[in-house]
Amino acid sequence: MTATIPVPADSSPPPVDGVSITVDGVPMTVPKGTMIIRAAEQIGVEVPRFCDHPLLDPVAACRMCLVEIEGQGKPQPACAVAASEGMSVKTQRTSEMAELAQRGVMEFLLINHPLDCPVCDKGGECPLQNQAMEHGRSESRFDLEKRHFDKPINLSAQILLDRERCVSCARCTRFSEQIAGDPLIELFERGSKQQVGIAEDRPFDSYFSGNTVQVCPVGALTSSQYRFRSRPFDLVSVPTVCEHCSSGCGLRTDVRRSTVLRRLAWDTPEVNEEWNCDKGRFAFAHAATPEFDTPLVRGDDGILHAATWPEALERVAEGLADARGRSAVLTGGRLTLEDSLAYSKFARAVLGTDDVDFRARPHSTEEADFLASVVAGSGLGVTYDQLENAPVVVLAGLDPEEESPIVFLRLRKAARKRQLPIASIAAWATPGLGKMFGTLLPTAPGAEGEALSALARGGDTLGSDGRRIAALLNEPGAVILVGERLATCTGALSAAAALAHTTGARLAWIPRRAGERGAVEAGLLPGLLPGGRSLADAQSRAEVAAAWGVSVDDLPTKVGREVDAIVEAARAGAYNALVVAGVDPFDTRRPDDVIAALEAVPFLVSIEVRPSAVTEFADVVLPVSTITQRAGTFVDWEGRTRVFGQVFRTSLALTDARVLAMIADELDRPVGRQDVAGMRKEAAALAPSGSGRREVPSVAASSVSASSGQAVVSTWHHLLDEGTLQRGDDDLAATARTAVARVSAATARAAGLTDFVTLSTDAGSLDLPVVVTDMPDGVVWLPTNSHNSNVRRVLGVDHGAIVSLASGGGA
Amino acid sequence: MEIDDTTRDEVRAIIARYPETRSALLPLLHLVQSVEGSVTPDGIEFVAEQLELTPAEVASVATFYTMYKRHRTGRHHIGVCTNSLCALLGGDVVWKSLSDELGIGHDETTADGEFSIERIECQAACTHAPSVTIDWEYFDDATPASVSEVIAKLRAGEPVQSTRGPVIRDFRATEHTLAVTDDGLAGEGPSADHRMLAGLTAAKERGMALQDTAAPASSEGEN
Repeated sequence: MTATIPVPADSSPPPVDGVSITVDGVPMTVPKGTMIIRAAEQIGVEVPRFCDHPLLDPVAACRMCLVEIEGQGKPQPACAVAASEGMSVKTQRTSEMAELAQRGVMEFLLINHPLDCPVCDKGGECPLQNQAMEHGRSESRFDLEKRHFDKPINLSAQILLDRERCVSCARCTRFSEQIAGDPLIELFERGSKQQVGIAEDRPFDSYFSGNTVQVCPVGALTSSQYRFRSRPFDLVSVPTVCEHCSSGCGLRTDVRRSTVLRRLAWDTPEVNEEWNCDKGRFAFAHAATPEFDTPLVRGDDGILHAATWPEALERVAEGLADARGRSAVLTGGRLTLEDSLAYSKFARAVLGTDDVDFRARPHSTEEADFLASVVAGSGLGVTYDQLENAPVVVLAGLDPEEESPIVFLRLRKAARKRQLPIASIAAWATPGLGKMFGTLLPTAPGAEGEALSALARGGDTLGSDGRRIAALLNEPGAVILVGERLATCTGALSAAAALAHTTGARLAWIPRRAGERGAVEAGLLPGLLPGGRSLADAQSRAEVAAAWGVSVDDLPTKVGREVDAIVEAARAGAYNALVVAGVDPFDTRRPDDVIAALEAVPFLVSIEVRPSAVTEFADVVLPVSTITQRAGTFVDWEGRTRVFGQVFRTSLALTDARVLAMIADELDRPVGRQDVAGMRKEAAALAPSGSGRREVPSVAASSVSASSGQAVVSTWHHLLDEGTLQRGDDDLAATARTAVARVSAATARAAGLTDFVTLSTDAGSLDLPVVVTDMPDGVVWLPTNSHNSNVRRVLGVDHGAIVSLASGGGA
Repeated sequence: MEIDDTTRDEVRAIIARYPETRSALLPLLHLVQSVEGSVTPDGIEFVAEQLELTPAEVASVATFYTMYKRHRTGRHHIGVCTNSLCALLGGDVVWKSLSDELGIGHDETTADGEFSIERIECQAACTHAPSVTIDWEYFDDATPASVSEVIAKLRAGEPVQSTRGPVIRDFRATEHTLAVTDDGLAGEGPSADHRMLAGLTAAKERGMALQDTAAPASSEGEN
């Protein structure tokens, strides 16, 4: 939990802004501005503390860290006094005054504390408990009635507060205000009544609320998920990596008796610092238990029956026997790098097809070209650290708070600490943009490409904000971040690449799912081989064939189809078999078509963790391990490999790669054992060599416009929504944002909208409350997959499509 | 919460006074009290909207200061200082008789909505202890009888003059004055009297002047 301050080595001269001080008689030089408490840590002296946190602004609220400073008459808080030249500090180790002061403060802090450690969740990992043992009295002298509060009270559905235990350190309120930008909890009242609270009917529904439980130095804040579930000393903690988005958070997964009981943010300074989002913290029920005990094989009766592995594999081999060159592979965006590589190889070397695509979401050929040319094989690109220190960050088709929350936290940090200018090319200024003090470059869906091109031309057509941002983009270190929905905006990714080329700005793609960057690196796109190599390039083909241990002639030569084309081809009877892993048809742009394809294909293999719309139609279902049962690697949006180990090491469940190896064996086209270690060796052998990079796409931008009674859809996902991996945690779901439809005042007027709007397409209609928002006319925004707002499943459309607007009756 | 155009103009004027909009928080809370008699949840929402703060941030401040009332207040607010000095010089007795007469306790309001009473902290009027305030105006050298007389007059609708301030209007009017700062009443009524100025007068008579002292030692790091 402690940050380290770089201390210059003894041999080198002190930096110009260093100050020399002594702590407990030990001389040291620390950077100017270093707090005494940090300086003391450099010589291994831990001054007791509650409110102090290296990533929060100092507040000196708890008074626990009092030390003696020579020349100062009374004890001073070490967390809030900066070291100054010549300062002589004595901590509790060498100063009776400091020791006495700390004991006094501890006694005060405990006067109203219930000392209910035996029934408190924090007991055993509690800074108050630990420091009371070290710096407090063994017996309380306070024999009067303590202060009482009702307990616990809900700050939100998920976060509970026991006010009696609180020591008013204000870590939670400072986190919410400073780090998350959600000052929904505050210290209320004063004196002995002082307490953390929320305003009436305004629950603490912050995407980052769980962090307050983790930083609470007492047992005041608990989550409904973990409350009374375990004792810390019964837990086994495993470092893991979050499987939700592409932020790449390091997590700590706490397990007791084969059950995951909680997850915490792991201290990962280069990525998530010490924070994570509530989805990563609380949404792990999906991995609780594998939902299939055995493989399933569809019998003559049309029903899936439990089968042994040999039976199931034999059936798969039969089904795939005549599918070489007449099959396709769909993988979704949630696989590990190791599994993605295995699918990449399986499709090409075993099935002889290049019809392979991970994009179980709206996509385009332009996007595939962009990913193949700009992203694949580019290694560690823009980093969190570079974001934090950039002269400007332009967001195109990306709302980081909803789509990559740790990117949001880092951008907010930079905006708050060093006024990093941030501009967003989107339809409206989201709460997240406000919390990053960002500028909106108002852009209707479909016009993102034009806006990016306008920035490349100096931003004149975007007004004074546009000119300012365009000028900043020319400064070294400027960054352009593009999100997944740019795939749906014709010409936008081309324009982003061109803007980066023109200005010298760095470009990074931030997908929404944890496995997408890894899938790109593994070549899970038609025409793309691992490491950014191209199927069309002979050198690339030779390198990949060598690494895979197959003959070059075994690889397909014809560039394959993308998801939409695969779906069409399947419906038209072009395939003998489909292999599908981790794909939810309802994530795609046209779910009905996907389902029709699944029904139409003669043989369907589903490699899955849980029952889905795919397993419903599958001829064979092969169960694979959940995220807690496997080791693996995610590649985060930076291109950083985030390796994680197995939480449940005794699990016998198989990874996708192992299952594919068994199928390959059964087909008599062996690819090796494909265990995790083997796949990592293969990944190393397939490291980018620079050969066969595709051309950067240059698709002309086009825009969409709606006629009267219609609007262009702008949509992206809420962080907390009806996503599959969030199932099973009602309290987390209760903190999600409510779905609303946003339109401009003029659009609302033109369509006669008052309280509710009905959005309709040929496929269906949605009824949503209207919120009039400052945004381009003729545009309607709604969340992609929230309660009552399932754009793809119900309307069958996505970002940039046209829908009809009519005044709605309300729900 | 009903906000009329006059109040809206006042809100704008108050916010315009400060370079940071958040600085308008305290006067706006007084303004809310001048309209509603207390700081209601609606009032908190209103202020939060005006200042682009969260309701929690506003509620945090509103609950910190005891002068912001979070439940219904009477037409008049009567405060009795019961800090040590006032208490010893009769404050406790005044409080008891007031409380008995109105039949209510600390931070409570009479059923007819006329009076709220409160034990208050030091009003910086120790020269005239025990100090009582009516709608935050001074009633110096209070006794049970003087307070009882004032209550009778207020009930009867007779004019009551502060011993060092203007004629009493009502709690909401005072709150309005606190919010808008200049309502033209600042000079009304008697101000500091000879007892409060005794020290200054004595110093002047003796020709005493401030000594030229060195700047006080730096208090950097004090918290």
